[in-house]
Amino acid sequence: MIEIKNLKTSIEDKKILNGLNLKINKGEVHAIMGPNGSGKSTLSYALSGKEGYDVSGEILFKKKNLLDLNTEERAQSGMFLAFQYPIEIPGVFTNNFLRTSLNSIRKAKNQKELNAIDFLKLLKEKAKSLQINQEMLSRPLNVGFSGGEKKRNEILQMALIEPEFVIMDETDSGLDIDALKIVSNGVNALRNSDRSFLIITHYQRLLNYIKPDFVHVLSNGKIVESGDWKLALELENDGYGKYLN
Amino acid sequence: MDQISSAIDKCFSSLITDTDIKNVNDRKEEFNKFKNTGIPSNKYENWKYSSLIKDINNFSDLTISKKKPNVNLKKNLFDFSHDKIFLVDGILHDADINEKGLKISQYNNFKKIGNNNPLVCLNNAFACNGFELEVKENSKVKKPLVIYNYFTSQMPSTFINFQHKLVLNSNTELVVFINNIFQNNSKFFCNNVTNVELKDGAILKNYSTHENNKSSSLFNFYNVDLGYSSNFEYFNYINNTSSCRDEININLNGENAFASLANLQILDQKYNHESKWVINHNKENTKSSQFLKTALHDSSHSVFQGKIYVNSIAQKTDGYQLSRALLLSDLAKFTAKPELEIYADDVKCSHGSSSGSIDEDSLFYLRSRGIDEKDAKKMMIQGFLAEAVQKITDKNFQQLFLNKLALSNEY
Ligand SMILES: Nc1ncnc2c1ncn2[C@@H]1O[C@H](COP(=O)(O)OP(=O)(O)OP(=O)(O)O)[C@@H](O)[C@H]1O
Ligand SMILES: [Mg+2]
Repeated sequence: MIEIKNLKTSIEDKKILNGLNLKINKGEVHAIMGPNGSGKSTLSYALSGKEGYDVSGEILFKKKNLLDLNTEERAQSGMFLAFQYPIEIPGVFTNNFLRTSLNSIRKAKNQKELNAIDFLKLLKEKAKSLQINQEMLSRPLNVGFSGGEKKRNEILQMALIEPEFVIMDETDSGLDIDALKIVSNGVNALRNSDRSFLIITHYQRLLNYIKPDFVHVLSNGKIVESGDWKLALELENDGYGKYLN
Repeated sequence: MDQISSAIDKCFSSLITDTDIKNVNDRKEEFNKFKNTGIPSNKYENWKYSSLIKDINNFSDLTISKKKPNVNLKKNLFDFSHDKIFLVDGILHDADINEKGLKISQYNNFKKIGNNNPLVCLNNAFACNGFELEVKENSKVKKPLVIYNYFTSQMPSTFINFQHKLVLNSNTELVVFINNIFQNNSKFFCNNVTNVELKDGAILKNYSTHENNKSSSLFNFYNVDLGYSSNFEYFNYINNTSSCRDEININLNGENAFASLANLQILDQKYNHESKWVINHNKENTKSSQFLKTALHDSSHSVFQGKIYVNSIAQKTDGYQLSRALLLSDLAKFTAKPELEIYADDVKCSHGSSSGSIDEDSLFYLRSRGIDEKDAKKMMIQGFLAEAVQKITDKNFQQLFLNKLALSNEY
């Protein structure tokens, strides 16, 4: 699915990622854990094509050079980022936005765009399975949403778009116990042999619900350790002490 | 400066030699008041940022004429049910009024609007046309009244002055929609004064559009007197109007009176628009809101001067003001000058102003959802402006303006 080779990113001369290597095959779920400020969100932004970073190295996404694509082209070719901090956009209504987003991606894939009625039907169904209140969707995008509501709205978008490669940046932070289960079920429902996930989290709890194939430790802009799900347990007990220098 | 003065002089001499003209002495007096200042200069605080006066000063020739152009009034009608007034180049041409309690007449009596603004004096001196509308006591008018205000391509004048008067008696309600239709692409100067009187418990919703006016210079002046528990709601949709100053003077004279002013503006090229709003809280427990959203492309320039004045007896005043500009080009400019003048101690007044370019993080968020940069920008501009439309309390008109906004954004 995606292969990252020697990825370095810096912003205004500050080096954040320092030669990161990671390969995720089709159908795999990878988790990344690491101390605050180690560069996890930066990795998610670099993969989604956020402007303002100096990026070097190579990223192959479905055998294409990802660095040649801009943000929307990456999304249109199957990448999705669930933001750590979803953005509030006053005046842009959530359901309008969701439809525009879905149809932009469908159009790019040469699929038929959904009309308002078909879209609403689909939206209702997905919102229901994530226990999202319809009323919320008629409000401006993320404006006045609680922290947990914003995170659920990210997962709703994922459920609508059904992307091939999903990056979740601390989607679990801010979710209550029940919501964590609901969101995990939503993710697990999408898990299949063609879809891959990169899950950034601080808490081993999420990984009980969404069992990863691999766990990596990111420290100082590099992956310093990789293992299976047991690595998450180990980190939970021992912390990051031994990976910091 | 001199060119325009002599052009106006010439117009005035020909006006008062017309045998039909009434109230010549009053007009002369108003004209002299105008001449004391002339077209105001940027040296005056109230006109410091005015681009309109620069444009007016470029006129070297002005003409007024009484010729009536031919227009097809059936062409631009809205398909919802409504009463109609047709104005053609400032003249009341026709009306189709069926709702009970509405009375319309020609505005041909000279009534001078007391104001020291030189352009209002100029209007007092010249205006011979317009309409007068009265809503009879206890009439809650159901259907909206649409004023089709044509500026025709056969316009015989280059200097148009008109005055309108709206009187809403006690316990009345009316929705007015002024639809300005610019068919004339040549240069003209239009001076329009509207006097509104809202008696106790009257509610007037006054919506308007100013679109695609490619070359004229407009001065619009509203004076609104509000009585006890009356309500004035104003929304103006401005899209590519070459040069315009909208001045609104609100007098909250009765307790519980409320005035809400909102502007939505989209400007491009070198177009300029100026809003000068003054809210006078003259009585206790009065409330006002000023809200302005402007999207500025190219080298356009928007000016907002909003003032809240609170008289010493106007305790418990609630005054709100917010102006925001979206700068979509390095050359676009927004000038905001909020003013507060408060003489009472128990008041709640807030004001804020901001200008900036499109938020990069929001843009990234939308693009990361597969939305093209161009469309994402459109969404953000539209969303930004739509907040002004939310101030409209009439749901049908709110939708009308949202649709208009969605269409305007297709470039
Ligand atoms: N625009 C920026 N300018 C300067 N420094 C930045 C910028 N963005 C991020 N950084 C720095 O880069 C480092 C990595 O940030 P990043 O957000 O990727 O960390 P993270 O691993 O996601 O942390 P957390 O667990 O707290 O979310 C931090 O030290 C941060 O301060
Ligand atoms: Mg982070």
